[in-house]
Amino acid sequence: MTKIFVTAYAETPVSRARVDKGEKKLTIEQYYAWALNMVLEQTGLSLSDFRGIGVGVTGSAYPRAEIWSAEVVQNLGLEPRLLLRGDHGGANGAALLVAGALAIQAGYVDHFLILGADTPMNITGEAALTWRYELDYLMPVGMMGPNSMAAMMMQRQIHQYGYKPEHYGKISVSQRENASKNPNAYFRTPLKMEEYLNSPLISDPLRMLDICPFVNGGFALLLSRDTVAKKVTDKLVKVAGFGSWHNLDASNSLKDITTTGVKNAVKQALEMSGIKLKDIGLFNAYDDYTPVVIMQLEDAGFCEKGKAGKFLEETDITYRGELPLNTGGGLLSYGQAGMAGGMHHLVEAVRQQRGEAGERQVKDLRYSLVTSVGALEHGGTFINNYAIIFGGE
Amino acid sequence: MSEYKRPLPQITEYTQAFWQAAKNGQLMIQECRRCGHKQWYPRPSCTSCGSLDLGWRQSSGKGSIHSFTVIRRVVANSPDFQRDIPFVIAEVDLDEGVRMYARVEASPEQVRVGQRVKVSFREATPEITLYTFSPSA
Repeated sequence: MTKIFVTAYAETPVSRARVDKGEKKLTIEQYYAWALNMVLEQTGLSLSDFRGIGVGVTGSAYPRAEIWSAEVVQNLGLEPRLLLRGDHGGANGAALLVAGALAIQAGYVDHFLILGADTPMNITGEAALTWRYELDYLMPVGMMGPNSMAAMMMQRQIHQYGYKPEHYGKISVSQRENASKNPNAYFRTPLKMEEYLNSPLISDPLRMLDICPFVNGGFALLLSRDTVAKKVTDKLVKVAGFGSWHNLDASNSLKDITTTGVKNAVKQALEMSGIKLKDIGLFNAYDDYTPVVIMQLEDAGFCEKGKAGKFLEETDITYRGELPLNTGGGLLSYGQAGMAGGMHHLVEAVRQQRGEAGERQVKDLRYSLVTSVGALEHGGTFINNYAIIFGGE
Repeated sequence: MSEYKRPLPQITEYTQAFWQAAKNGQLMIQECRRCGHKQWYPRPSCTSCGSLDLGWRQSSGKGSIHSFTVIRRVVANSPDFQRDIPFVIAEVDLDEGVRMYARVEASPEQVRVGQRVKVSFREATPEITLYTFSPSA
């Protein structure tokens, strides 16, 4: 079986486009260009080396040309054989990684370059494109987008499992500690639990510090077939396994809103990689909201459903801890670059696997698990659910 | 009457019966004539068997709060809700076995998970009457 390796990665510093604070306000096209340029610099490859590869481009939350991936490669001077666009929300990066890996395994391309960028901070007074069901059945009754849906998941978690504010706060505070060691993260000032508890309620029981902030940013990952990977780099990070599931329990009208399809995706990824969950030394979970992280801790199997409170009380989840979680700060502290946000978790895992995470490097790391969720589900949790495992020979 | 400034649903060929019934104070849910599956929100086919042969069944309008939130901030595309803040939105599980998002007309302190609620209707425009819920005994 063809082995697939990540042979390059890129993550731009992010910005909230606060020109008044001296921050850069770059366009989405500039972030794509910056991320690609970082890949070229890291690998020493030239654009001509990328002729005939596969390219995957994340979608954007804000109005863009419908033929967006083509415009991106035209802007960048890329000449791919295969060109795909993500349409998976928070799971954009993971979905493109799976598609790219399958394209390499099928023999269609030798390399697959995933590019992700988004600039939600450049949009003022304009709503993101949304779903028909949200326009017709959510917004008219007063729902306020993803915050309201995540708040209801959290309310139900608290009702079913008795979780306390401090359980959610531990995620926010620990990830900020990780971010304090990541020069690329937007929010790096360490956070106290008291500050979390005093942060204002936005949509009860969701507080401001349970919610990821938007940033502008760009990312890239290069996947390569085993036979050519060594020509790119000797720092190979193996894609050990992946799994995915969409629209779990499709016809059930009364779903459990404290569970995601990540449980199916992780099971499949572990089977493909031939490892056990206990072999995982780093877990990057999609963290648009703290209750969503709790669901993934449970659904991946790190603790039983409903036992995450006790697990969080007993477990150090910083980069130094028993289960390093979102070691780059996650979306909560690094920031969410719109529809490219989920690339952060993948890039950070690759950087850690290469031993290049500096002060926040996880020691003796063998395998990393990344789970991504995307597309809020009517009456449920998330429609798109992915798991990626990196590591091994 | 002042202009209605909040988001409104689009009426389509397969949802017009629902919105017409709402104007008459009836809450309708889709029911598959082939397999009996009931679903909300309205869709063009049955999510259980794929049949296009869907009918409407009148709901009792009674249900329970599965979960809820208190809205304290509005977003850019719904500024007119600002004057209602704080207000409650819930996932209501109707007794017929479907879940819908709806406003609950009660103060935040009065709302809890599991609470029984009953539907009522508020006219938004001549075309659209919106469903809303309030606590029942």
